[in-house]
Amino acid sequence: MSSVIIAGNTSGTITLDAPAVAGTTTLTLPTTSGTVMVNGPAFSANTATTQSISNATYTKVTLGTEVFDTNSNFASSRFTPTVAGYYQINAGIFYNTGAVSGLGQIFIYKNGSEVNGTVNNMSASGYCGLSIATLTYCNGTTDYIELYTYHSFGTAQNVSSGTTVFMTGAMVRSA
Amino acid sequence: MTLYEKIMAIYPQLEQQDFLTTITLQNDSDGKGDYIAKWEHTLPRPTDEQLGAA
Repeated sequence: MSSVIIAGNTSGTITLDAPAVAGTTTLTLPTTSGTVMVNGPAFSANTATTQSISNATYTKVTLGTEVFDTNSNFASSRFTPTVAGYYQINAGIFYNTGAVSGLGQIFIYKNGSEVNGTVNNMSASGYCGLSIATLTYCNGTTDYIELYTYHSFGTAQNVSSGTTVFMTGAMVRSA
Repeated sequence: MTLYEKIMAIYPQLEQQDFLTTITLQNDSDGKGDYIAKWEHTLPRPTDEQLGAA
């Protein structure tokens, strides 16, 4: 047999079912170089409480509320995807600082080191919002993603609780 | 008193820029608190005794 042609029916739907084997998450086309990705991991989390961030100290943001975690890969404010691939990571943070000024920064960390960061130089208006988006590869076994922040407002400051401090992520391409 | 404040009490001549370049303080939110992750400043790294007394 040299080829298989699958044609959609009049409803416009074609369904390919993955093998019913525990842990199987992809459909593979063995005679080509590509892999068909099926529902890679995705998560969304935000803060459950305010968190004090010391001045001039790179601090991991505690994300205590899971909105969703499709593959149970998010725990202890850390995303450790179990499927190898490229992941879109987004995050935002909000300092409710009072009348201070200085640098506010936000970072995506992979395996304890910075992947990307952004910075905002705030005035004395009393609020500092920061956001970041990046794309990074995770090997599906040991690689993990965390959210860190840094500020130089002079004294310890709180980041807010709730939906204004968050990290989300989803697999966008298989390895 | 935070670790930053203790270090500034020991070395008041340090500036904010030093903590973006030659000194890195970090907190992994694992219950262990702030710690010195990197010290490459020409001033000697403060000892535990100095930090405890600050």
